[in-house]
Amino acid sequence: MAELADIPNEFIKNEVDEFVEREDERAELIELYSQSAPHLLEIGAAIISGRNEDADRLTVEALERGTGALEVMDDGLIAGMALVGIKFRENFIFVPEVLACARAMKAGMVHIEPILSASGIEPLAKVIMGTVKGDLHDIGKNLCIMLLRGAGFEVIDLGVDTSADEFIDAVEEHDATLVGMSALLTTTMPNMGRTIDAFIDADVRDDVKIMVGGAPVTPEFADEMGADAYGDNAVECVEVAKRLVGVTG
Amino acid sequence: MVGEHSKEFQETGRPVVGEMTGRERVMAALAGQAVDRTPVCNPTSVATVELMDLVDAHFPDANRDGEKMARLAATSYTELGFDSVMPVFTIIQESSALGCEIQWEGKDNWPTVRMSKPIWKSADDVKMPSDFLKHPDITCVLDAIRRLRQELGDEVAIIGKTMGPWTLGYHVFGVEPFLLMSLDDPGHTKLCLDRMKEITVAFGQAQIDAGADALTLPDHATGDLVSGEYYREFLRDLHTELVDEIPIPLILHICGRTVDRMDYIAQTGLAAFHYDSKNDPAESMEIVTDRIALVGNINNPQTLYANGPEQVAEEVVRNLDAGVPLVGPECAIPLQTAIENLKEIPLAVARWHADRDSSLPAASEVQDR
Ligand code: B12
Ligand SMILES: [Zn+2]
Repeated sequence: MAELADIPNEFIKNEVDEFVEREDERAELIELYSQSAPHLLEIGAAIISGRNEDADRLTVEALERGTGALEVMDDGLIAGMALVGIKFRENFIFVPEVLACARAMKAGMVHIEPILSASGIEPLAKVIMGTVKGDLHDIGKNLCIMLLRGAGFEVIDLGVDTSADEFIDAVEEHDATLVGMSALLTTTMPNMGRTIDAFIDADVRDDVKIMVGGAPVTPEFADEMGADAYGDNAVECVEVAKRLVGVTG
Repeated sequence: MVGEHSKEFQETGRPVVGEMTGRERVMAALAGQAVDRTPVCNPTSVATVELMDLVDAHFPDANRDGEKMARLAATSYTELGFDSVMPVFTIIQESSALGCEIQWEGKDNWPTVRMSKPIWKSADDVKMPSDFLKHPDITCVLDAIRRLRQELGDEVAIIGKTMGPWTLGYHVFGVEPFLLMSLDDPGHTKLCLDRMKEITVAFGQAQIDAGADALTLPDHATGDLVSGEYYREFLRDLHTELVDEIPIPLILHICGRTVDRMDYIAQTGLAAFHYDSKNDPAESMEIVTDRIALVGNINNPQTLYANGPEQVAEEVVRNLDAGVPLVGPECAIPLQTAIENLKEIPLAVARWHADRDSSLPAASEVQDR
C-alpha cells in the first residue's frame, strides 16, 4: 500500500495530510496521487489552488509532451478536483474557492474535450441536472455539476426553475441515463415528486435513474417520492451517480 | 426608549406581562434595555398561504400592492400575537427597481430574481436610477409601512427591510460572477459594495420617513457560501458605516452557519443579529454577549414546517434559557407553515416567563390576549 511520502508532489502531499481526515478517503487519494506522474500532479495542484492560467498552460504542455488526453484528465484534472470536493465538504474552503477550482478545471478541459470526442471515448454516463420548478437556488446544484464533470460524467445543465417536461425532453434529446434534481425550498420540494410522476406518466421512468438533493431534502423524503437515491453533498452526489450507473471506485 | 407604561417595571424590576406594548418591548430589546417579557419578533417574512387566505391578500399581489402588503403584514400581530410586523416578504423589491428580471411566481411561492441574467458587470455599472424611490415595487413598501403605522399606531414595532450590498451583489452581478470577483479582485469588489451601499441607505431612509421603527438588513455572507474571514474583510466595516448612516436600529439577517463570524458581527455596533438554527443559542450568546441583540432562531423547515407546537415550544425555551433577547423564526418561513405553530411562539414565551414569576398571569390567561 502506498504512503503519504510516496506522493511525488510536495504541495499535494501537504494538502492530503492537512485536509483529508477520513481514513478511507485518505488511503484512496494517496493511492491515486502516488501513481500519478509528477507533471500531471502539477496540473492537479493548479486545480486545487484555483490557478486557471497554470491549469491551461500545464495541460497544453502535458499533451505536447505526448501524455494521453485521458491520462491528463484522470491523473491531473480529475485528481485535483477530488480533493477540492472534500475540502469544501469539510468547510476548509468555501464556494468562491470552489468556483475558482472549477474554472481552472474548465481551462484544462478545453484542451482535453476535443481529443476525447474525436477519439470516441465515452463519458461515464450522461447526466441531466436541474433545480426544480419554482426554485432558483443553484449554487449547490452547480457544485454537484462541477464535481460530476470532474469525475468524468457528461452533464447537461438545465439551470433553475426546471419543469417536468424540460427534464423529460432533455433525457430524450440527450439519451441520458441519469437525472439529478435539486431543491432548496420546502415549497418546491414536492415538485421533485411531481417530476418523477411525470416520468412515470410519460412512460420513461424505467429509462433513467433519478437522484435528488438539496438542503431540506432527506433520504426518507427521497424514498417516499420514488427517487432512486439521495445525496447529502457534492462528493456524495458523485458517489451516488457512480453507484447508480454501476461504476465502482 | 421605554414608554411610561413600564414605570412600575423600572422601579420594581419585576416583569409584568402586558405592561409594555409590543413596540416598546421590541425597541427596548433592540436597545439592550430591560423588558417586561422577551419580545417575539419577525425580522423576515412570516407570511403563509393560510394567512393570505384569511385576509384575502395573496402573493404575488401582496408583494406589489401596498394595501394588500399591509393587510398581510398586520396578521403577524393580529393573528399570531407577535410584537412586530414586517411587510417586505421578498428580498427583491430593490432589485426589481434596479432593473433585474423578476419572476413573481404565484400564491404559493416566493418571487425571485433571475440571477442567470445579471444586469451589471463592474463598479462602473453600479448606479442607482434617479427614479429608484419612485419605482412601484419600492413605493408599495413605503405605502404599506405608512398604512401599518396608521392602522396599528404605537402598539407594535414596524420593521422595514433594506437589502445589504452583498446580497444586492448576488442579484445584480449574479451569484457566481460576484463570488469569483471577490476572489479575483477584492479591491474592485469593495468598490462595488461601497457604491451599492448607497442603495441600501436610500431605501432604508425612505422607509424611516414612512414610519419604520427598525430595519432588517439581509446580507447573505453565510457560512454555507463564504468563510468567516470574508465577513471581516468585506462587510464588517461596511456594516459599521451603515450603523452611522441609518439612524434607527438595524437587524442584520444572515441565514445558515454564522458562529465563526458572530464575533465580527458583534463588533459592528448593529442593534441586532437575526440568526439561524444551524447555530446553537447558548454558544452564540457566549460569543456575542451583550454587544449585539440576537433574534431567532426557531428552525423553519423542520420545526415550524414539519413538526408541531410541542417542538416549537422546546426551541423557544432553548433560546430563552440561553438569554436570547428576541425570539422568532430563523428566516422567511415556508409558506405552508401552520398558523398553530407560529402562534405557539408567543405562547411559549409567555409560559416561560410565567413559570419564572408566580405573580404573572397563568399561561391560560395569557392565551386569551
Ligand atoms: C444563498 C441562498 C439564497 C440565494 C440563492 C442564490 C442562488 N443562486 O442559489 C438568494 C439570496 C437569492 C436566496 C433567495 C431565497 N431564499 Co434562500 N438561501 C440561501 C442560503 C443562505 C444558502 C443556500 C446555498 O446555496 N447553500 C450552499 C450550497 C452549497 O448548499 P446546498 O444548496 O444545500 O447544496 C449542497 C447539497 O444540498 C447537495 N445538493 C444540492 N443539490 C443536489 C442535487 C443532487 C441530485 C444531489 C445528489 C445533491 C445535491 O450538494 C450541494 C453541495 O454540497 C440558504 C440557507 C442555508 N444555509 O441553507 C437559504 C434558504 C435556502 N433560502 C430560503 C428562502 C426562504 C429564500 C427566499 C424565499 C427568500 C425570500 N424571502 O425571498 C428566496 C427564494 C428564491 C426562490 N424562489 O428560489 C430558505 C428556505 C426555507 C425553506 N426551506 O423553504 C433557506 C433555507 C433559509 C432559511 N434558513 O430559512 N437564497
Ligand atoms: Zn434567510
